[in-house]
Amino acid sequence: MLIRSAVTRLAAVGAGLAAGLGTLAVAHGLERRTTYVEYSVLALTLTLAAGVALIIAGLIVSLLGPAAQLGDLALLAGLVWFASVWVGWFKGPPWVRSVGMLAAGFLFPLLIHLVLAASSGRLHGVFTRILVVSVYVETLLVAVGLAVVRDPFFDPYCWANCTDNVFLLRSMPSLARAIEAADRWFTAVAAAAVVMVCISRLVIDSGPARRAFLPFALAATLLSGAVVAHVLALRRTPLEDPSAPTFRAIFIVECMAAVVLAAGLVWATVRMRARRRAVARITASLGQVPPPGSLGAALAQAVGDPELEIAYWLADSQRYVDAKGNPVANLAKAPGRTLTGLVRDGRPIAVVFHTAAVPDLEPAIGAAVRLALENERLQAESLAQLAQLRASRIRIVETGDAERRKLERDLHDGAQQHLLALSYELRLARAQAESDGDTSSARLLTAATRGAQEALGELRSLAHGIYPAILAEAGLATAVATLAETALLPMEVLAAPDGRYAAAVESAAYLLVAEGLDDAARRHASHVTVDIVQDAGRLIITVDDDGSDSSSKFVHLADRVGALDGRLMVGPTRLRAELPCG
Amino acid sequence: MRVVVADDVMLTREGIVRLLKDAGIEVVAEAENAPGLLREVRLANPDVALVDIRMPPTHTDEGLVAAQTIREELPQVGVLVLSEYVEPTYAMRLLQEHPERVGYLLKEKVFEIATVVDALRRIVDGETVIDPTIVSRLLGRRRRVDPLAELSGREREVLELIAEGMSNRAIAGRLFVTERTVEAHVTQIFQKLRLPESPDQHRRVIAVLTFLRT
Repeated sequence: MLIRSAVTRLAAVGAGLAAGLGTLAVAHGLERRTTYVEYSVLALTLTLAAGVALIIAGLIVSLLGPAAQLGDLALLAGLVWFASVWVGWFKGPPWVRSVGMLAAGFLFPLLIHLVLAASSGRLHGVFTRILVVSVYVETLLVAVGLAVVRDPFFDPYCWANCTDNVFLLRSMPSLARAIEAADRWFTAVAAAAVVMVCISRLVIDSGPARRAFLPFALAATLLSGAVVAHVLALRRTPLEDPSAPTFRAIFIVECMAAVVLAAGLVWATVRMRARRRAVARITASLGQVPPPGSLGAALAQAVGDPELEIAYWLADSQRYVDAKGNPVANLAKAPGRTLTGLVRDGRPIAVVFHTAAVPDLEPAIGAAVRLALENERLQAESLAQLAQLRASRIRIVETGDAERRKLERDLHDGAQQHLLALSYELRLARAQAESDGDTSSARLLTAATRGAQEALGELRSLAHGIYPAILAEAGLATAVATLAETALLPMEVLAAPDGRYAAAVESAAYLLVAEGLDDAARRHASHVTVDIVQDAGRLIITVDDDGSDSSSKFVHLADRVGALDGRLMVGPTRLRAELPCG
Repeated sequence: MRVVVADDVMLTREGIVRLLKDAGIEVVAEAENAPGLLREVRLANPDVALVDIRMPPTHTDEGLVAAQTIREELPQVGVLVLSEYVEPTYAMRLLQEHPERVGYLLKEKVFEIATVVDALRRIVDGETVIDPTIVSRLLGRRRRVDPLAELSGREREVLELIAEGMSNRAIAGRLFVTERTVEAHVTQIFQKLRLPESPDQHRRVIAVLTFLRT
C-alpha cells in the first residue's frame, strides 16, 4: 500500500495536484450543489489548501524526514482528501464517483494514523496500535459493504451522489442505512479514543516529546471534534446540507485539522533535520579536553532533550556506566523515550536514552562524534576502575579491622579465660598450703597469683590496643572520651558528635586521635585538644598539641584516610583529617 | 544470701560457685546465657544475680542488657555485673535507670572472693558498687585545670569512696571517723566541685562519676 520509490512518489504528487486542479474545474463547472467547495470561496480555498498541504508535507517528509513511510501516508491522505469532491462531480463518469465514495471513508483512518505516528514515525503502545488497525479494518468493511449493497438512488438521505454505484451487487437500502448508522457511531467513539490517547501522551511524555507532540494533539482534537459534531448534526438533520451553517462550520474545522497536521509534519521534519545537523556538529563545540559528561550535555542540547542520558558500555566488566564511571541501572523503556545503541568499528560503545521525538538518532551521529564518545567512554572506564580500586582499598581496611576485632575477641574469650582459671587454681592451692601450714609455698603461690593478675591486666590493655571494643559498642564519642580518661597527658575533647558512622570512618577517626595523642606524648606536649565536628557530609577531626615540631609521617593513617576518600593534613603540632561520612 | 550465677565459660562459673559456697553463700541456680539467667531469676527470685557481661551470642554486653531487664522486672533482686571493660561507660549504663542494688566489678576480681562477697552484701544492703580500679582511673585522669586539686587529701579519699558507691555510714566505718564528719566532708566536696548535693545516695554516685568523666 505504501509508495516506495521516488518516481512513484512524484507520480502520486502529480496525481494529487491534478486532482486538486480537477477539483477547481469541478467547482467551476457545477450547476448542481453537491459539494462544499461550490458554496463559498472560503470552503474552496480551504479544501485546496488542506489537500495540497498534505501532499506537500508528504513529499517533504518522505524526501527529507527519517520516516519515509510517514510521508507516504501523508501523500495518500492528500489524494484521498479530494475524493469527496469527485463524489460530487455531477456529470462525471460513474466509476469516478463510485471510487470516490469508496475512497472517501479512508480519510479518517489515514489522518488519525498520521497524528498518532507523527512525532516518531511509529505507533507506540498496544492500545494505539489496536485503535488504528481497528479503524482501518472497520473502514474497509464499511466501504466494501456499502459498495456492494448501497444503491444511492434508493437512499433518502443521499446528497453528494444520488445516482452512481458501479460496484452495486444487490440493492439493500435498509441494510445500507444500518451500516451507515453503525459506522457513524463507531467513528465517533474512535475519535473520542484518539483524543484520550493524545491527552494521556501529553500527560505521560517527557518535556521534549510533549512539545513535539503538541501540534498533532491539536490536529487530532480538531479532527475528532469535527467528526463527533458531524455525527451529532446528522442525528438532528439526517440529510447533510452543505449550505447549512452547522455543516459548513464542521467542514471548515475538518479542513483546519488537515492544515494543522500538514504544517506540524513539515515543522517536525525541519526541526529534526536541524537537530541532526546540530548533533553532527557538537564535537566542534567541545573543548580540547572536555570534562566528563560534557558530551552528554552537548548532545542533550543538540537534540533539545534535557533528560538525554548516555550510558557507556564497558566490555571488560560487561556493564554500563555514566560519564563519571558510576554504574547505570538498567535503562528501562519509558513513555516517550527511546534507546539508541551506538557502535564504533563494529564494537558497541554506548547507548543514548533520549526522547522518542527524535527517532533514528544513530545515523545522525557521525564519525567525529563517535570518536568523542569513544574518548569519553575510555575516560568513564578509567573512572569506573578508579572507583573499584577505591572500593577495594576500603575493603582491605575493613577486612583488617574485622581481623583485629576477631583477635581481640579471641584474646578475651580464650587467653583471658584461661588466665582467670589459672588464677583460680593458684588461689585454691594457696588456701590449701595455708591450711597445711606450708608458709613458704603459700608465699610463692601468693606471688604467682599476683603475676597472674598482672598478666590479666596486660592482656586487657593489649586487647584494647588491638581493637577497642568500646568503639564498635558505643561509638566514636564514647571511645574518644575513654581515651581521654586513660591518656598519659591531659587531653581535652572540645566536641565529638554522638552519632554513629560507618565502622571504617569511626576506626579511622579513633586511630587518628590515638596516634595524635601518642605522637604528642613523644614530643613532650603538656596537653592535647581534640575537636571532632561534622560539617556538610564530612567528619573533621583535629588533634592539636603544644609539643615540639612533629616529624612523623603517619603513613598508616594516611592510607586509611585515603581509602575512605578523605584528606589527611599533617602539621608541626596538628593532625587533621576530613572524612566523608555520608 | 541466695545468689544466681551466670557465666558462659563453665570453668569460671564453677570456680565462682565453689568459692561462693565456701564463703557460705547459697547459689540457688546457674545459667550460661542471658535467657537462661532471666528464667532462673524469675523462678528462684534470688537476693542477687551475679552476671558476666560477655555472654553469647555476640559476647559484648548481653550480661548488661540482662541486668537492666532484671532491675526493671524484679526491683527486689540486686545485680552484680562482672566485666572485662574498665571503661566507665558500661558502669554508667548499668546505673542509669536503676542506680540502687547494682554493682560493676572487674572480672579479674572474681577470685578475690572477699571482694565479691563484700560487694554482694553491699548490694543486698541497697548500696551501689563501682570497682575501685575504675574510680581510681577516673580520679587519676590528667586534666589541664584540675578541680580535684582544690580537695584536701581526706576529701579526695571520701570522694573516691562516694564514687565506689558507699554510703556515709560505710565511709565512716572505712575511715574510722564519725558519720557526721563524713557528712561535713561531703558538703565541702560538693561545694568545691560546684555539684548540687543530692540526698539520694545513688544519684550521688551518678553525679560524681559524671563529673569525673568530663
